[in-house]
Amino acid sequence: MFKVKDLTFRYPKNKVDTLKGLTFEIKEGEIFGLLGPSGVGKSTTQKILTKLLDNYSGEIKYKDKDLKEYKKEFYQEIGVGFEMPVHFSKLTANENLTFFKKLYKSNADTDELLKKVGLYEDKDKQVNEYSKGMKVRLNFVRALLNNPKVLFLDEPTSGLDPKNARVVKDIIKDFKDNGGTVLLTTHLMNDVDELCDRVAFLADGQIAEIDSPKNLKLKHGQRVVDLEYAEDGSTEKASFDLDSLGADEEFLNIIKEKKIITIHSKETTLDDIFINVTGVGKDE
Amino acid sequence: MNNFLVLLTGEIQRMKKYNILGASLLVSIIWIGVLHFTEIENVSNIFPLLIFLDATSMSMLLVGVSMFFEKQEGTLKSLLISPINKNEYILAKVFSNVVSNIITLGILYAYARIFKEIDINVLGIFSAVILIGFFHSLIGFILTYYSKDFTGLLMGMLKYSFVFMIPVLLQEVGIIKSELIGKILYIIPSKSAMVLLKSSAGGIDIWSILLSTAYMILGSVVIYYFVSKKFDKFAVKESGV
Repeated sequence: MFKVKDLTFRYPKNKVDTLKGLTFEIKEGEIFGLLGPSGVGKSTTQKILTKLLDNYSGEIKYKDKDLKEYKKEFYQEIGVGFEMPVHFSKLTANENLTFFKKLYKSNADTDELLKKVGLYEDKDKQVNEYSKGMKVRLNFVRALLNNPKVLFLDEPTSGLDPKNARVVKDIIKDFKDNGGTVLLTTHLMNDVDELCDRVAFLADGQIAEIDSPKNLKLKHGQRVVDLEYAEDGSTEKASFDLDSLGADEEFLNIIKEKKIITIHSKETTLDDIFINVTGVGKDE
Repeated sequence: MNNFLVLLTGEIQRMKKYNILGASLLVSIIWIGVLHFTEIENVSNIFPLLIFLDATSMSMLLVGVSMFFEKQEGTLKSLLISPINKNEYILAKVFSNVVSNIITLGILYAYARIFKEIDINVLGIFSAVILIGFFHSLIGFILTYYSKDFTGLLMGMLKYSFVFMIPVLLQEVGIIKSELIGKILYIIPSKSAMVLLKSSAGGIDIWSILLSTAYMILGSVVIYYFVSKKFDKFAVKESGV
C-alpha cells in the first residue's frame, strides 16, 4: 500500500534530521505498528504519510504512485484518528459527524459506529459536555466515517477504560478483516501485541527493528524453558535449552515424575524489546 | 470547489453556535442605537460611516476569532486531512464573513428605512460591503497568521486600525482638512473602503470611485495570493509541528 524508501526529513528550525533514511513498506490489509519513544519521529512519519508535511526527501509510493502526485482525492481514501480531540466543541457529536460526512463521497453508517462505541445515546450532546474517553471514541468514529481504505491511528485506546478499549480494538480488527490497512502508533505494547501484524521500532530517526511481534519476541528472547517444580516439600527451579528439549533426559524426568508448579518459555515481551531496541525507557 | 458550499454552510453554522454571529448582531444593535439617538433625521451620510466600521474591523476580527477557535480545538487538523483544498477553506471563511457583513447592513438599512430617512444606492452599498468585507477578511487571515494568541490578534488589529483606519475617520469628521493628505490617503485601503461606501450616498467623483474599486479588487487579488501562499506554512504549524 505504502512503500517508503530512504525517507529523510528535517524541520526548518532544526539542525539535525528528524528522520534519517527510513525504508519500510506497509502492506495492503495489514496492521503496521510504528513504535518508539516520544520525539523519535513517529508523528512526523505519520504526518508525511498523510500529506500534512511534504518537504521531505526520499520516495513514498501509495498504490505504486508517488504520494506527491495525489491531490485532495487522497483524503477520500484515508481516515486519521488523532490522539487529541479534534471536534467543534459547541456542536453536538452528530453535528460534527454530519458536517465532516458531507465532505466525503463515501459515508459509513455513523449511527451504527456510535452505537458500537457507546456514544449513540449522547450523540445530541455538545462535545464540550463529553468526557475525555468519549472524545477519544468520537475521534475514532470521525476516522472511520468515510469508509477509508487506510486508517492512521495515534494512541486509539489512550484514555479508554478496558471495556471501551476492547470495543475499539475489535473494530480495528474488523476493519482489517474487511481488507483495511492500518498504521498504528501507540505506547501500549499490549495493543501492539494483540493487533499488529508487523511493527517497526524507531530509534534516533531510524528503523532499529522491523518484523512481526512474534518474530521479534523470539529474536530478542532466550531460547530456554524455565521450570518450577515441587521436591521434598520445597520448590526447585531449573532451566533447559528450548531447542533440545525433547532429548533432554533431565527435563523429561522432571515433567514425568515431579509436580510442575510453573513452566515458561523465556520469550521476551514487547516492552523489553522497546527498551532494548530504542535504548530508552518507553515513557521518555 | 465541490466542497466549498459544505464548508461555507459549516462556517455559518459554527458562527451561530459559537455566538460569533450573535456578537456581530449585538454590534449591529449598537449601531442602531447610534442611529436612533442621533438627532439627524436623514442618516444617508452617517450610514456609510457605521457600515465602514463593521465591514472593516468586524471582518478582520471575525475571521481571527473563528480561526483561533479552530486552533484551540484542533479542528483545523481535522479539516486538513479532509478532501478539501486551501482555496475552498479560505474562501468559505471569507464568504461566511461577508454574509455576516450583509446581515448587519440589511438590519441597519431596514432600521434606517423604517425609523429614519435614508437615500442611498442600495445595490451600490451592498456591492461595496462585499468588496470591503472580502478584502478585510483576507487581512484578518494575515493578522491571524502572525499572531501567537488572541491577544496578539487584537494587538495586530489595533495597529492596523491606528495606521489605516483612524486617519480616514479623522478626515471624515473634519479633523484632517488638508487636501494633499486627503489625496495621500488613497494609498491606504481604508480610504478606498470609505470612498466606495460614501459613493452610495452620492457626491463622489467618478474617478475616485473607479480608483477605489480597482484598489479593492486588485488589493484582494494580491492579498489572496499572499494568504494562499502562506497558508501551507500556517497549516503545518497548526497541525502540531
